Amino acid sequence: MTLTQVAQKDFEDAVRSRMVWGVISVFVAFIGFVLLVAIGTSDSADASADLALGMIALFSQLFVPMVAVIVGYMSIVGERRSGSLRVLLSYPHSRRDVVFGKLVGRAGVITLALGVGSGLSMLIAGLVIELPEIGSVIGVLTSITLFGVGFTGLAVGISAGVRTRAKAMAVAIGALLGFLLVWDAAAAGVYLVATGSLPGLEAEAWYFLLKRLSPVNAYRAVAQGFVDGRLQSFFQLGIEDVPADTTQDQLALSNRVDGELPFYLSNWFAALTLTVWAVVPSVVGYVRFERSDL
Amino acid sequence: MPAIRTDGLTKRYDGGLLGTDVTAVNDLDLVVRDGEVYGFLGPNGAGKSTTIDMLLDYGRPTSGTAELLGHDVQTESERISDRVGVLPEGYSLYDRLSGRRNLELAAEWQGVDVDYTTLLERVGLATDAAARPVGDYSKGMTQRLALAMALVGDPDLLILDEPSSGLDPNGIRRLREIVRAEAERGTTVFFSSHVLGQVEAVCDRVGILDGGELVAVDTVDGLREAAGASSVLELTLKEPQQPAVADDPAVSDVEVRGNQLRVTCTDSRAKARVVADLVDRGHELIDVDSESASLSDIFAVYTGEADVDAPTGGGKDGNDGATDDNEPAEGVIA
Repeated sequence: MTLTQVAQKDFEDAVRSRMVWGVISVFVAFIGFVLLVAIGTSDSADASADLALGMIALFSQLFVPMVAVIVGYMSIVGERRSGSLRVLLSYPHSRRDVVFGKLVGRAGVITLALGVGSGLSMLIAGLVIELPEIGSVIGVLTSITLFGVGFTGLAVGISAGVRTRAKAMAVAIGALLGFLLVWDAAAAGVYLVATGSLPGLEAEAWYFLLKRLSPVNAYRAVAQGFVDGRLQSFFQLGIEDVPADTTQDQLALSNRVDGELPFYLSNWFAALTLTVWAVVPSVVGYVRFERSDL
Repeated sequence: MPAIRTDGLTKRYDGGLLGTDVTAVNDLDLVVRDGEVYGFLGPNGAGKSTTIDMLLDYGRPTSGTAELLGHDVQTESERISDRVGVLPEGYSLYDRLSGRRNLELAAEWQGVDVDYTTLLERVGLATDAAARPVGDYSKGMTQRLALAMALVGDPDLLILDEPSSGLDPNGIRRLREIVRAEAERGTTVFFSSHVLGQVEAVCDRVGILDGGELVAVDTVDGLREAAGASSVLELTLKEPQQPAVADDPAVSDVEVRGNQLRVTCTDSRAKARVVADLVDRGHELIDVDSESASLSDIFAVYTGEADVDAPTGGGKDGNDGATDDNEPAEGVIA
């Protein structure tokens, strides 16, 4: 099975990337800093373990895709430009083995990196406050990992589908900013065009699905199941037509959709969305890669 | 069954809306026989690497087909790659991993056990060097390691694209020994180079590629003759006189200017005979200088585009091509 061989080699090589561990260190340091500030300013000490977990889940929205892009965007185009792909492909590996082997290898790297990063962050939370409940810890860790793998799949797909490093970087950063900043506004825009008004506190169920097709929002939906209180979007755009005095509880999805939540707004569907993000862009990238000259 | 066979292999690059299309390889029919050492000679930009890219399925032909060891390179690549060892051009290894680890990966991928000590010794890479990350290697060390990686698994066909680039004379000698030893074992070797001396030293047959087309295929002896056709010996004698050298059948022309003698030979091996002959007759030689044919002269011979008796003159003869690519060497077209 040469796919596993490629994956192994790739994991071994990429896990030594200083860039990845640099960003993870920044993440851990940042969380540590935020927690210390939070303790200093918080008056209700008993809520702070959950606060810490929510904090980690919140900042992951920004850090995880950044790490994933760093882990994935050079995976194939980097070897293509340097020429090591010419060596790799001279052995019994097909291009399919290379793309999907890389996907598996980089998924391994991001899992390890995020495991170490968020694990350390939670340990810091445990040392300075108290360890959050173990079930929630595992849940948030799993959500973060799934998010990381999904975004890494996107980055690997981009890396397979373009010919130059610059293009890979441009497309990957474009995707990052698009999902973080543009997606929600675009969804609201679609809603405005379709219904004639901006989405209010209550809106059609499909609008929430559209929002959740973004890996960032899908992650938020999955992680929401394991944190106390509402996990907010990292960048609040304020485009929705929601009264200013709305409480976070009122913003919970069950209060915004009429009646029972449809299956596509369930947490497992969001988890499935992240899995699709891990696989589909890589397939598209592979098809482009297969057809082109090295 | 030939080790390599291409049929009408063509690669055209689309020039876009305003540009002109570039034909890098044009209707190439190449046959490399099983067990031979085949030199693939041509100036930079002749289409050698484009051809090799298509042989290895790195690039897809615009038209035509290619077979390695009887299998189509595009549809049956999985039946080829474990029998072919490749030293590609423009490659790089895994910089963050040690030389030894790179070699181990090659062995794992080929699914073979390798005697690393022997293999490293064969290419002339020290064991302590193999323990260092490849990122710290010089070009020559990297090239030695890449050659070792190509040899892993005792391939039936070795494809070496400009294998001598970056190697010092010592490395080039080892490379030749390896190519000869592999040929002895029955391995077919496809050896591409833009340096005449490299190809001449090890190959049985040579194909000359120019402008994407195969302009000639010949044995090395045939090539030597063509090279000899424009081989010139310049001698300075102590006394101005008219020595009798023209009786050698390989001497086509003798020019005398004072004590200077300019002897044109049709076979480069005649040059040594001429010198020995003159010494035997008691002439005292102050200086011996020799010009050998450059690759462009060889092309001219095969394509009949130039006067073969008036060589443009390459570098100095006598270094047996053991020069680095970086310095102007015998038979190099820059």
